[in-house]
Amino acid sequence: MDRESGKLEQIVSQFRSKILHVILNSRVPSLHHHCQQQEPVSLSRVRKSDKWFNLVLGDRAAALENLNFSLRNLLDPMIIDIILVHRSSCSSPLDNLYTPSAAVGSPSDETVIERWVVQYDCTRFNATPTGADTSSSYKKTYKKSIILLRSLFAQMRLLPAYRIFRQLSSLSQTYNFDLVYKVSSFSHPFSREEEGAMKEYSFVPVEAFPGRLCVSVTYCTALSDFNLEPLVSLPSNIITDYVGSPTTDPMRSFPSSEKNFHATSFSIRGVRPPSSSPFQRPHSWSSGFYKGLPLMQNQSLAGSPPAYRTSPKPYDVASPQSDMYGNRIRNRLPTLQQATAYDEYQLSPPFSTSASPSPPAYFSGANLVVAHHCSETAPVTIPFQLTGRNSLYLSPNSSDPNRHSLPPLSPRSSKHDASSQESPSGIRSCRKLEAQRAGESPSGLSINYSAQKMVRDSKDDSGQFSGLLSSSGSPRIGFSRSSSRLSFQDDMDDCEFSCPFDVDDIDVSDSPASQNVEGRKASDFTAQSVPVADALEELKSYREMRDLLLSKSGIQVVRKEGM
Amino acid sequence: MNCEVCQLKELEVEHFEIREVLRCILHTIVFHRALGLVRPKDVDLELFEITYVQCGDVELEKKIDEKIDQFISWVEKHPNKKSQICLSFYEVKSKQPSWFTNKTERLYWEQWYVNLNVTQHPKHLSSKLHHTKVVVDPGESATEERSSRRAMVEASLREVLFQIIKFVNEKKDHVPPISEGVIYFPYEITMPSSSDSAFGMDMIKRMLHSGHPTMLS
Repeated sequence: MDRESGKLEQIVSQFRSKILHVILNSRVPSLHHHCQQQEPVSLSRVRKSDKWFNLVLGDRAAALENLNFSLRNLLDPMIIDIILVHRSSCSSPLDNLYTPSAAVGSPSDETVIERWVVQYDCTRFNATPTGADTSSSYKKTYKKSIILLRSLFAQMRLLPAYRIFRQLSSLSQTYNFDLVYKVSSFSHPFSREEEGAMKEYSFVPVEAFPGRLCVSVTYCTALSDFNLEPLVSLPSNIITDYVGSPTTDPMRSFPSSEKNFHATSFSIRGVRPPSSSPFQRPHSWSSGFYKGLPLMQNQSLAGSPPAYRTSPKPYDVASPQSDMYGNRIRNRLPTLQQATAYDEYQLSPPFSTSASPSPPAYFSGANLVVAHHCSETAPVTIPFQLTGRNSLYLSPNSSDPNRHSLPPLSPRSSKHDASSQESPSGIRSCRKLEAQRAGESPSGLSINYSAQKMVRDSKDDSGQFSGLLSSSGSPRIGFSRSSSRLSFQDDMDDCEFSCPFDVDDIDVSDSPASQNVEGRKASDFTAQSVPVADALEELKSYREMRDLLLSKSGIQVVRKEGM
Repeated sequence: MNCEVCQLKELEVEHFEIREVLRCILHTIVFHRALGLVRPKDVDLELFEITYVQCGDVELEKKIDEKIDQFISWVEKHPNKKSQICLSFYEVKSKQPSWFTNKTERLYWEQWYVNLNVTQHPKHLSSKLHHTKVVVDPGESATEERSSRRAMVEASLREVLFQIIKFVNEKKDHVPPISEGVIYFPYEITMPSSSDSAFGMDMIKRMLHSGHPTMLS
């Protein structure tokens, strides 16, 4: 009996995972693209985990793996909200910068267009199967689960939201809408008005003694009211004389030119223009490559979509809101906020290297975000200490080709991050959602998250971080436990004084002294930092010496001049 | 074992829509009965904004296309007739061989009836109107009529697909166990042959095998 119940528990657990996979693959564009970009493996070589319910969907994105981990309590319902996020066309990152209040979007910008509820219902008493029936009960449960999943898979293509999903998945167009998701173990009930515009469909429950598997969906019937307008993308333009603002984050690294980065319109809306993207990563769909990105380990709470909401955060290039690298990057790009739940920054690599732990994906994603963001400015020379700091900050492991110039963090942080998923799934999401809806500054929330992560990270990666601090010789990175925005801002400001933007540096190579080659030693030319005044003085002294020499051999000079 | 029967809602389609509509319906049914290891394949219809799912088996796709070709040929020979395609799933059971029966018999456990009413092409209608000397504006009204008709067919097809899903969900107990290595259950697609009487005989034969009266609407 225990063996049977173990099998049943496994079926229930895998059923939830599979449903999540099916739903998100059919509703979240980037996850769908990740799935599509995988090379189809022959059915005989499909991974075991993908064979469940005889429905091969391809490797799961890291986000899904993390969600599965977070929703391990089988008795809790798994509620998946598919949210249509509307961006107003007039908003821009600059607007958000100067009007932070505008960063908090109104609830009407987000519409839950589908709510899937998956539950293992044990409340109803089911007759205990007899001994002979017990052994076959889990087989019947499994067979019926297969059928249910088939019908769910087909139905997902018939519901109104599928059309929107297909439109937003289009690589040739970008829209003013996004599809994001939220997974939690509880949800806010719909208002009467919302309920009026929705229909409910419940799949026939599958008997799974001692309970039953129940799946239902509440969906908006009329989505034609949402006017999906294709966005007009700005042409790519490289600003050749851009030197950055004084508040530019000096910590960012600039990819080398051969990395094929160039400015795109991404920075404005977080969407990729129809033209070719600089990124050739196989997994991300940059029309909001923040969407459906692999779940960040530190945000993998099933119920907590730190940035699924639509309201753009302040486009704050200069003032990271936390000392966590990932969060700082997120806040920099407001459109990233509107990503699918957790999926913001985990770009690429992890998908292809699914064997690797997810968290490196998170950080690498963040790094890539930084890289992409940085790619909009012309490359500038960065002092060694900054680059050195960056490379120390990030793991030296750069095996993944998709990480371009920024190496990923060490797996140690990822391992630790996995533990953060054990928190109750829905609680954080609710807290975050409420805070955001209440207009709380997103920085505060992100700081909380970052602070928590910081504490955790520091436990495992203390060696690395402390080493970083000692090598840099100054607390510029600001790994303060307080994670206060201001202190970090101050730290970053300190870095600017050593950046090459200072115009007071004089290029000695242009001074007149450099033109006088006679009698000058080679080392003199290297003194390009010698001020002009000093050079003139030197020149005078040389002239004096020359005159002295000439005076001593004055007859010879006169003779030469007369010729 | 009971033989569950599902009579799908009748669809009024034009000749050029038959292939797409039948592909959509038959593949959707088979996908729900292909309980072996499959990699689902999304297929977008060209004439309608509907995406259906195939189980990805090339052989199956080929067989279904062959049957659809046969059906289209039959429709061309019998215009303006309501037609029905029957998709049946069965189990192969061995039985005592006798003089008149084979060693194996088919036990049908599920039957799906796809009901189509193939209408004439609109071009024929417009030409008739022309002969009656009725002044018809062929421009916008024809386009509007075509698009509204197309929307109706699409809505009806969507209803049929929902009907399939509903039936599949409600009735699961009669589905036989899944055999190892088998992708889909043995199936049979029957359609009206050149003679209607032969089609009727097929129906009677199936009734006898299934041991359950066929539900005819």
